[in-house]
Amino acid sequence: MSRPDKFIINGKRLDGRLPDQLRPIKIEVGVLRRADGSCYIEMGKNKVVAAVYGPREAFPRHIQDPSKVVVRYRYNMAPFSVEERKRPGPDRRSIEISKVSKEAFEAIIMKELFPRSVVDIFVEVLQADAGSRTACINAASVALVDAGIPMKGMLTSVAVAKVDGVLVLDPMKEEDNFGEADMPFAFLIRGGKIESIALLQMDGRMTRAEIKVALNLAKKGAMEIYNLQREAIMKQFVEEGEENA
Amino acid sequence: MPEDILVDIKKDYVLSKLRDGERIDGRKFEEFRRVEVKTGVIEKAEGSALVRLGNTQVVVGIKMQPGEPFPDTPDKGIIIVNAELVPLASPTFEPGPPDETSIELARVVDRGIRESEAVDLSRLCIEAGKSVWIVFVDIHALDDDGNLLDASAIASIAALMSTKVPASRFGLGEDFDLPVNDFPVSVTSLIVGNRFLVDPSRDELSVGNTTLTVTVDRNDSIVAMQKSGDYLLSENLLDQIIDASISASKKMREEVLKQISKA
Amino acid sequence: MRRIVLPGDLLSTNPKLAGHGTYVEGEKVYSRIIGLFEQTDNSIRVIPLKGKYNPSVGDTIIGIVREVTSNGWNVDINSPYQAFLPVSENPECKPGKKLNEILDIGDAIIAKVMSIDPRMRVTITMKDKVCRAIRFGRIVAINPARVPRVIGKKGSMIKLIKSELDVQIVVGQNGLIWLNGDRRKVAIAEEVVYLIEEEAHTEGLTDRVGEFIRRRKNVQTG
Repeated sequence: MSRPDKFIINGKRLDGRLPDQLRPIKIEVGVLRRADGSCYIEMGKNKVVAAVYGPREAFPRHIQDPSKVVVRYRYNMAPFSVEERKRPGPDRRSIEISKVSKEAFEAIIMKELFPRSVVDIFVEVLQADAGSRTACINAASVALVDAGIPMKGMLTSVAVAKVDGVLVLDPMKEEDNFGEADMPFAFLIRGGKIESIALLQMDGRMTRAEIKVALNLAKKGAMEIYNLQREAIMKQFVEEGEENA
Repeated sequence: MPEDILVDIKKDYVLSKLRDGERIDGRKFEEFRRVEVKTGVIEKAEGSALVRLGNTQVVVGIKMQPGEPFPDTPDKGIIIVNAELVPLASPTFEPGPPDETSIELARVVDRGIRESEAVDLSRLCIEAGKSVWIVFVDIHALDDDGNLLDASAIASIAALMSTKVPASRFGLGEDFDLPVNDFPVSVTSLIVGNRFLVDPSRDELSVGNTTLTVTVDRNDSIVAMQKSGDYLLSENLLDQIIDASISASKKMREEVLKQISKA
Repeated sequence: MRRIVLPGDLLSTNPKLAGHGTYVEGEKVYSRIIGLFEQTDNSIRVIPLKGKYNPSVGDTIIGIVREVTSNGWNVDINSPYQAFLPVSENPECKPGKKLNEILDIGDAIIAKVMSIDPRMRVTITMKDKVCRAIRFGRIVAINPARVPRVIGKKGSMIKLIKSELDVQIVVGQNGLIWLNGDRRKVAIAEEVVYLIEEEAHTEGLTDRVGEFIRRRKNVQTG
């Protein structure tokens, strides 16, 4: 892939989107039989699946916390998920992503309800297309609800990039690779509103003012995604009800 | 140190002082601890720096060698940052491959250097498409009294600023100073409730691992941010921390440059 | 259909009403799970639609023995927590009898939760008339969150199944259910249990279940 000359032409991005538009999203809940909760998400060309196991007994014993549940998060990319085959196994990037994602969920899961046990969140990126970590958090959030894990609220994640000096929502591959800045967010949404930030990273170069604009853009995108998450979850129940209506 | 057994008691002390609007060591909330920077401490390395930030100590060594460029940047040098939180630095560090904390540390320091374009990678081309200079930035923690990240970032840039490219060793001409154009400063704050404490000491960190790092370049642009730890951050607090980080970074940069130029 | 709520949904601004499935923060009551919102005059609660079984003292449960120890048995109760049945709480214990001769690995039992310590160590007992070692019949497993529906208001659903099918049925709070009786009737009962599990959140279920049973019985006799 080579660096495009321009990222924004006549106000539109390379894939035809406006700066504040999300890529198409598809969400399916309860896709895995063995997991306690699961979710499949497509965001742009990202295809990720999240599974939640737990709360379950924590093994080995020494990882147990006598006062609360231990949360584990594993972000993993399948070897075939990217253009150049990726060697299986965690690399440094995956480890960092797993860490900050885990911490985002630790901030909202009601840990004291399940001492001495563990909640495992596994997310596999089957196809990666910029923003896979945000797609994974969105899938994991739904999978946790599907597993019945008590939480303060739901997490919704989206990233903002800067290209040609313009802030764009939910960056695509070229914007992510060649842009001037990349900023992934995850928000806690409660009472139908964005309440606080559970995940925040940035690399690139942005002024203070630009960060503020990026934050507002991200909040707008996150609310749209949140509504899709809700819809997907509710869909399971409405269908069953309709069969017997 | 035998005081590690007192972690819970320390936590209470930190919190009770906070309720009075104070820090346990008397610092202001946006104040860094005293910093001491010495460059050129490892003569065998191409560049090096030892930094003391309060009682935290880190040494960074720079090693350079020619190598193959990345295919998509055939004429640019390569920077590789690695951090070793070796067991001698803390009773809680265990031997073994880097864990998530050391990986995160290395990557955030790397981001600060890379995104600020502190090192002019285009001047590190030997033969386009075939050979470029690889710059290994190796962070070695010596003593963890809190905030190894900021100490490591300072040591890394200081080491880079004192690095000489060893061209003669490889028959590639005369040695030259590594071109360094910016001085990114990372500012890490501990978040407690709706307050933040810049450059938390280990005792302060007994309250929790909830931090936000903001890396600022010479022009007050932000080149990296990392929220770390299991907590929820309000927009309001984020605003305040960014502001405080920009001014704290200015002061730190001034102090370090003063110390390096005196040497 | 009752309203389904998700974690973080705002339910009320009156913290005094907060009940099961909710939590309070800053004078607001929110849901903490996915479930059915239920409001009465003096409480607001969310009836879980999903989730693991979290033991409560007094619960009747069905468990599977996983380990025989020197003074009792470790029992899997389909929960993040294993339970312990002390020798003293098993009426079948007689001096001279080896523990694994009374209950061995893989045996199923009906028991009651006797106590839970703050670290969630669960102790169970078989000293209650509903308790026994399960030596015959059939055990089925459903989502524990649906158990209240299988039992029904004041046991109405269980009564319906028992009377229409003439089977013995013990419903464990942990989602395991024991059925015993005529082979074909038990088969219908099992289908009924799965039907209830799938449609637990809908209305008019009791009538539909009655209908379902009658249809199945006709098919069997016809």
